[in-house]
Amino acid sequence: MSSRPASSGLAQRVATRLQGFLDRLRAEGLRTGVAAGVDLSRALESLPPLDRDAVREACRVTLAKSPAEVAVVDRVFEEYFGTRAIPVTPASEQGKLPSGRDRGGRASSRSRAPVPELEETEEELHGRYSPAAPAPGVPRPEMAPERLRRYRSGARRFRRTVATLPGRRWRAHPVGAVDLRRTARAGLRSAGEWMELARRTRASRRADLVILWDVSGSMREHTANLFGLVYALHRVVRRTRVFAFGHELVEVGPVLSGRSYARAFPLLEEALEPTGGGTRIAHCLAEFRHRHGSELRRTSTVLVVSDGWDLGEADTLSDELRRVRSRAHRLVWVNPYAAQPGFEPATAALRAALPYVDLIASPDDFPAPHGPASPRRGPPAATVI
Amino acid sequence: MTGPAPSITDSVDSLVAALSGQQYVTERGLATALFLAARLEKPLLIEGEPGCGKTEIAKALAAASGAELIRLQCYEGLDASTALYEWDYPRQLLTIRLHERDRTTAQLETEIYTERFLLRRPLLRALEGTGPVRPVLLIDELDRADEEFEGLLLEVLSDFQVTVPEIGTIRAGTIPLVILTSNRTRELGDAIKRRCLYAYIGYPSAEKEVEILRKKVPELSLHFAQAIAQFVGRLRTQDDLAKRPGVAETLDWAAALLALHESTVRPETAVETLGLLLKDARDLESYGKERVTELLATP
Repeated sequence: MSSRPASSGLAQRVATRLQGFLDRLRAEGLRTGVAAGVDLSRALESLPPLDRDAVREACRVTLAKSPAEVAVVDRVFEEYFGTRAIPVTPASEQGKLPSGRDRGGRASSRSRAPVPELEETEEELHGRYSPAAPAPGVPRPEMAPERLRRYRSGARRFRRTVATLPGRRWRAHPVGAVDLRRTARAGLRSAGEWMELARRTRASRRADLVILWDVSGSMREHTANLFGLVYALHRVVRRTRVFAFGHELVEVGPVLSGRSYARAFPLLEEALEPTGGGTRIAHCLAEFRHRHGSELRRTSTVLVVSDGWDLGEADTLSDELRRVRSRAHRLVWVNPYAAQPGFEPATAALRAALPYVDLIASPDDFPAPHGPASPRRGPPAATVI
Repeated sequence: MTGPAPSITDSVDSLVAALSGQQYVTERGLATALFLAARLEKPLLIEGEPGCGKTEIAKALAAASGAELIRLQCYEGLDASTALYEWDYPRQLLTIRLHERDRTTAQLETEIYTERFLLRRPLLRALEGTGPVRPVLLIDELDRADEEFEGLLLEVLSDFQVTVPEIGTIRAGTIPLVILTSNRTRELGDAIKRRCLYAYIGYPSAEKEVEILRKKVPELSLHFAQAIAQFVGRLRTQDDLAKRPGVAETLDWAAALLALHESTVRPETAVETLGLLLKDARDLESYGKERVTELLATP
């Protein structure tokens, strides 16, 4: 890298100034490491320093890692370096921020960083979680560690029985097809003689999991159980995406990532606010298909967690489920009432779903010693436990 | 970077101009991302809608800089022996047989594990460039490969080196310009994303699409290109499509209309040729003549 002393001093100052920006991005949920910050300052060194668009682009390229994150970077960049006022940080924090003029000659008074520690924030520009916020009305799920552990082992069992499928990758195995490559390689050790035939078999691969979780009013009393289940599945099955829906669909997976059960819940409560009170399963499934349909693969297992009380049209729901089923590996419906004696899929939504669902399970099947039962292989058939 | 020769990656503007010379119309944002990838010597991960020019940009970049394009198409089950290197077992065996009499086992062993018996696969080839021009390594559709393969890429992409246990570590003389693409059929691992710069290509604006059409299909009149871009743009906004047409589809469709000696978008021909834009049977079924006429008539 050719060094340009004149601009690296400037880049240094800008980089220091950007620290607050990075902090704010982290507060917004972006997992921006130190390396990304270093990349950004190196990128700024290579760009014309007064070009605002170029700087924004450099921020996007180095800090965001998905379209959603690009949007967050853009928004925070606008707020931070834009013309809108940012709430002044508490006095205790002000000393940490450099003063003076920023890149582009804008006075930096408006670009003070908000406090990254959410707990200390007096006033937040965006509706992030705040202890002062009104409770969203979802009871905090108390879950005994023992029960959580059982959910986790249930989730592992689910991964093994449902979310697994044969892969294309080979692995060494005492029984199976002869692996010529390994045999030849082993033969080299014995002067080219093939003493023993190495064998191999297909390694099974894990399917990815998509959870569509109904968080509407009618499901409220089951929140504790279902959150435990969703949390355990998200923890145990790699590549799980979690969407919550009620009136609208929101992705809540990032809120659960890397957080303990106790810490994830308050954040989840807040993330659930846009879902609204009612249930529009078909609408939300359609929304899911539009936004994320292309990410569904024949290796994806889709888990719909809902009681099936729906405000929408059963026909549309049936059509949406058929579309989902045609793209996915398996479609599993988790109904909180499925374990009750005399349960029958009586709601219109469940009836509409029956032809496309491989398995109807109850959340209680997961911690149970032998559930959920392995779904029948072969053509999709409704199985009621 | 120590290249004293003028290069197309000297500034964002020169990059835009060079790509434009290759008939590739790029947004400034994407050009900045490429420029930074070249400057910071980091791989660039490009995600975006299918058929919007992710692969094409690597080709255009290689052609513009006169560099070699080394392409690795990813698929499920791709492993080190297809992506990185493999020993040429038949030749090794032959050598052993030929020299069984006159060499000792130890001599044979050192002989057959030399670079002469190494089959170089794309990733290794990309590291072996020594010329002044940096080769372009395109790792296409990384989302199709599995996570194990991502793990394999980590060493290559962060240190630009490959360790072959029998030989040692091979380091890149000239660091290649690495472009990874993904259609987002799955989320890539955090480790790989952290090592890459990131850019997203969405559908182009109507004006950009007209520009692309005119560059790629020069026979199109401005008016016709606008009509095509407008129709495809409207089609993309339809909610009930399972698969939206990309720029590649627009280009195919434009070429098809020209081949049919059309000079304007008429509902009849549009319906007959809709298969070039919509690649899903159900979508095709739901777009009959009425809906196409309706789409064309919308002001």
